[in-house]
This record gives sequence, C-alpha cells and structure tokens, in this order.
Amino acid sequence: MSGIELAGVSHKTSPLGLREGLHALGVPAGLDRLRVAGWTEAVVLSTCNRFEVYGVRPASASGGPAGEAPVSLDALLENWAGVPLSRHLYRLEGARAAGHLFSVASGLDSLVIGEAEILGQVKQSYESARAAGMTGKLSNVLFQRALYVGKLVRNRTGIGLGRLSVASAAAVLAERIFGGLKGRSVLILGAGRMAELTAKHLLGGRACGLRIANRSWARAAELAGRFNAEPVAWDCFPRLLESVDIVIASTGAASPVLTRPMIESAAAARRGRSLFLIDIAVPRDVEERVQEVERVYLYTMEDLRGIVQENLSRRRGRLDSARLLVSEKASEFESWLSSSGDGFGAGLRHSWRPAEAVAAPS
Amino acid sequence: MEWRLFLAAAAFYTAATVLAFVFLRSRDERWSEWMLRLMGLGVSLHLLSFGLRLSAFWSLAPNRYFAPVDSFFGALSYLALAFSAAFFFIEARHRLGILGAFVLPWSCVACWAALWAAGRGGTVETGLLVPELRSYWMNLHPLALMTAYAVLGNAFGVGLAWLVQDRQMKSRRPTELCYRLPALELLDRLNERLISVACPVLALGIAMGGAWAHGAWGRFWGWDAKETWALVTLLVYVACVLMRRTASWRGRRAVYASMLGFACALFTFAGVNFLSGLHGYLSQGAAPP
Repeated sequence: MSGIELAGVSHKTSPLGLREGLHALGVPAGLDRLRVAGWTEAVVLSTCNRFEVYGVRPASASGGPAGEAPVSLDALLENWAGVPLSRHLYRLEGARAAGHLFSVASGLDSLVIGEAEILGQVKQSYESARAAGMTGKLSNVLFQRALYVGKLVRNRTGIGLGRLSVASAAAVLAERIFGGLKGRSVLILGAGRMAELTAKHLLGGRACGLRIANRSWARAAELAGRFNAEPVAWDCFPRLLESVDIVIASTGAASPVLTRPMIESAAAARRGRSLFLIDIAVPRDVEERVQEVERVYLYTMEDLRGIVQENLSRRRGRLDSARLLVSEKASEFESWLSSSGDGFGAGLRHSWRPAEAVAAPS
Repeated sequence: MEWRLFLAAAAFYTAATVLAFVFLRSRDERWSEWMLRLMGLGVSLHLLSFGLRLSAFWSLAPNRYFAPVDSFFGALSYLALAFSAAFFFIEARHRLGILGAFVLPWSCVACWAALWAAGRGGTVETGLLVPELRSYWMNLHPLALMTAYAVLGNAFGVGLAWLVQDRQMKSRRPTELCYRLPALELLDRLNERLISVACPVLALGIAMGGAWAHGAWGRFWGWDAKETWALVTLLVYVACVLMRRTASWRGRRAVYASMLGFACALFTFAGVNFLSGLHGYLSQGAAPP
C-alpha cells in the first residue's frame, strides 16, 4: 500500500537549537540521504521555523530500489538531528499529512499567522525535490495542490492581509495614498532606528529620492551614506516640503518641528498633491492641527501601533474560516486519494485539481 | 427578443451590483471577478438588444439611419449601455474591483428607469421618428450628450470612492475598506481624467444642439429649460477642471463640485424633459408608425 507520510518538528514542538541543527543539513543533502535510505518520492521542507520531510511510501510489491521497505522517516530525522526527537517529533499519514501540508502552505501553522513567505518556501522545497528527481505522481499532485490551497486561502479569507510591523504598516498606508511608491520622494527628519526601518520599507517599495535632514550635518551625512540618500541642511528642509511626498519625522526635539503654518504654506505650492506625514517621535514632531489641512495625512507612532494591533486580531478572527477551507480541501484530497486507491497509478489523469480527477470517469 | 435581451442585461447589471456590494463587505476576490464577468455578459447582451432595436427601428424606411433614442426607453437604454461599457473598460483596465459598489448602482438606476418608462409609456415598440427629429444631428447631438453623461456618472462614482478613502485615511484608524479601495491619488487622477474627457464631449454636444436648432428653428440658443440646464452643467464641470488645473483646488471641494455637476446633469437629462417645451420629445412618446 502506497501512501503519504510526514515526520517533522516545528516551532510549536521543538526548541530553536534543534531546528537549527536540522536546517544546517540543507535540502539537497537531505534528499540524497532519503534516496539512500530507500525513498524514491520525498520532499524536504526546511525553514527556520520547521523541518519536515514528506515521503511517499512505495507500493510494497515493487518496494524501493533495493527491493525493501525504506527506513522510517522519524528514524532518519533522529539520525540527522543526532538527538532523540520523540518529544518533539510529529508523525502523520495519508490525508492527515496532506491536511497538515495544506495548513502549512496557507500560513496557518506559522509563527506569524498568515505570513506569505511560507508559500514560497513550500514551492522551493517542491522544486528542489523535483529537480533531484525525487517526485512522482502522488507527490506532484500533493504539492501542486498545496500551493493552490495556499493561494486560495489567502485570496478567499484575506488571512494574510494587514501588516504586522509599524514600519510595514506605514509603507502600506503610503501605498493607499499614492498607489505605487515608484518615483515618490521621502524626507527623513532626524534619525533613529524606527526612521531607518520605515525608510527601508518604503524603499523596498521602490520609493526613490530619499533625503535626510538632521540638526547635525555630520549625522545626516553619515545616515545618507548608508542609504544612498542625499543629506540636507536642517535650515533647508521647510522648502523641501513643497516637493517631497512622504515625511518621516523622528527628531528628539522637545516641541514640534513641523507646524501647521509651515505645512499650509507648502500645501499651496504642492498644487493639491497628497502629503503623508509619519511622526514616530516621542514627544511628537508634528503639530496635531496639521491634520486639518486638506490632503495632508498624518500618522503617529500610536496610530501605527493601533493599526498593527488591529491587523493582528483581525488575522486571528479569520483563522476559523481559513481552517475550515483547509479542512474542506483536505477532505477533497482524501476522497481523491481513496478513490484512486491502488489503481491510481494506472487510471489517474494528472490534474491540477484532484476533484476533477474524481469526477472524470475512469 | 430585444426586450428579453434587455431584461437579461438589466438582470446581469443588477446581479453585478449586488456582487459589488457583497465584495464591499467580504474580502473574497471571487465576488469581484464574478462582478466583472457578469458586467461583460450584461454589456454584450445589451449590445445585442440594442442592435436588434436598431434593425427594428430601421425597418421603417423614414427612420433609416437615425439612432433610436427618441423615446425614454431608447434613450435610457443607450445611457445604461454607455455607462456600463465605460465602467467595464475602466474596471477591466485598472482592476479597481471595489469601485463597482460606487459606480454600478447608476447603471441599474438607468436600466430600471428604462423599464419603468417602457411600462408607463408602452413604448418599447419602435415608432416612427417625428419629422423634426429626422436629421443627421439625431445621431450626433443626443448621443454625444448621453455618452458624456455616462462618463460623468462614472466620474461621480470615482469621486464618491475618493471621499470615502479620504475619510478613511484622515481618520487614522482605517478599516478594511481602506485596503480594498484604490489609492487616493489614483482615484483623484481617474476622476480628473474622466471629467476632462467628458467636458469637451459635453460642450460639443451642446454646440451641435445649437447648430441643429439653427437649422431647424433659425436660432442657435433660446434659453429653453433644457438648454439652460445643459449649459449650467457644462459650466460647473468646466469650473471644476479649471479650478483643479489653475487654483490647485483639489481634494474635497473639487469632488463636491464634480458631484454638484453630476446632479445638474441628472436634472438636465431627466427632470427638465417635463419642463421643456422644445425638448419634450421623450415625454411625448413616439408617433404611431
């Protein structure tokens, strides 16, 4: 009887040190060792939060290349880790293993619920295995299906929506104002880690034309050097308000450095273009009344934190519907698995959607 | 057949509008995709229906080759078609899914109004064009104006979406709606572009009306209610465009001004028909064939 098997450790079951040891092994080496151990179809999923091996046990009649049953996955994993894993290891088979993979690909099993990276990592693992010739019909269908479910869950439930860090939340808001960030210019007032992080996120969105103004010219020049930005003399920054799109204020000043009259006079010259002010300084750098100026959008550190909190609880709220969708797709896969049964090797039309394969008369 | 196709198109528009509202409330992308598909279907069926109307209309020799927009039903049907087609193109190009909830209701209103007009006047059947309307201007003047109204209606929806998004961003506690609405600058540019496109068409339509009036009645302009209101509409929109260009009067006030313009356009199209003696063709119905 052939079937899917899974053995693995994740952030939920094991300490970081243990996972690091397995991660260091590397996917190609892992695949090699699996082959030696008698597995012909196997995929290794290795990220910093999990190490999982999916294998398809060959039908007993044909056996592995050596004609015998392959070494069990948990024994292999224990061997690789070099320590007993029984307390940390989970083992699943058949449809339950598939369901687990679906939920992993959907980001439901991640440390940060709904994060998007894992889908790419699943894809990469699958592609490495395919490149190594370690996939077959069942594992192909399983992983392609998992990638499809991962995308589906994100599209239908929005579990991945809403950023979870202050810096990326600010970048998303900037996109809500300007559309793309390409060609937008950013001005940083002051310095600081948060300002740097936020600028990095904006630059990641291809904002260009970063300028940095600091009361200390040396500090501005130093920061500018690091970001490939243009240092600006402190006295010159009010004039720049007429042309930049985003201002990140992060000075240690005791009283606001951006006042309403300053913004109002700049707004007249801006011809109605939007201005996004991000005030991450404590005490605040931007006067609250600036908010009343048309087309000026002010967000403070407190606002951004509130948004992140809300996003987090929103994601948790969507977890149930996402889980439901995953289990639906898992049972769909299960019925395909059982209907294909022993004969799936003969009659299976390789389909992107197993449900269609079920419906097709064989 | 024409009638059935029109009913089907109206049903598809309505369903698409409902989907647009469902999408507003849910985060499922499928609603938006289905909305676009239904709109595509609706527009195709509507085109077919309009084609059949055209062939029926032209089967009467004196009507040949004038546009069948001499009745409320015909005019509203054309308006709904132009409106929906404009939205379909904007949506297919920019994929602003959620915009449907702001724009599509007008498409439905136009369709339902056409149904109501048909039920009231029983004028689905095409009649003979009254002799005064048998002019090549018939294909230019009303069509240009209605096309402009359709584009302006879309601009109105875009402006509404901008207002909602602006409020979201200003609140500093944006809800989910904020993340599904298009970006502010994008909406603003789209609004401006649609109005800038519609304005010259509107002006041209009015000018062609003047030329027609000169040919038919020997005068360009008579301060008839419809003429006056069309001029008011045009002036509001032109002011809107100029303010944006020169006085950097963008933001809330510009959008409010464009909304005022749309209110004028609605009144010009629908309300004035009952006040205007000269433009009363629509409310009088067609002559018997």
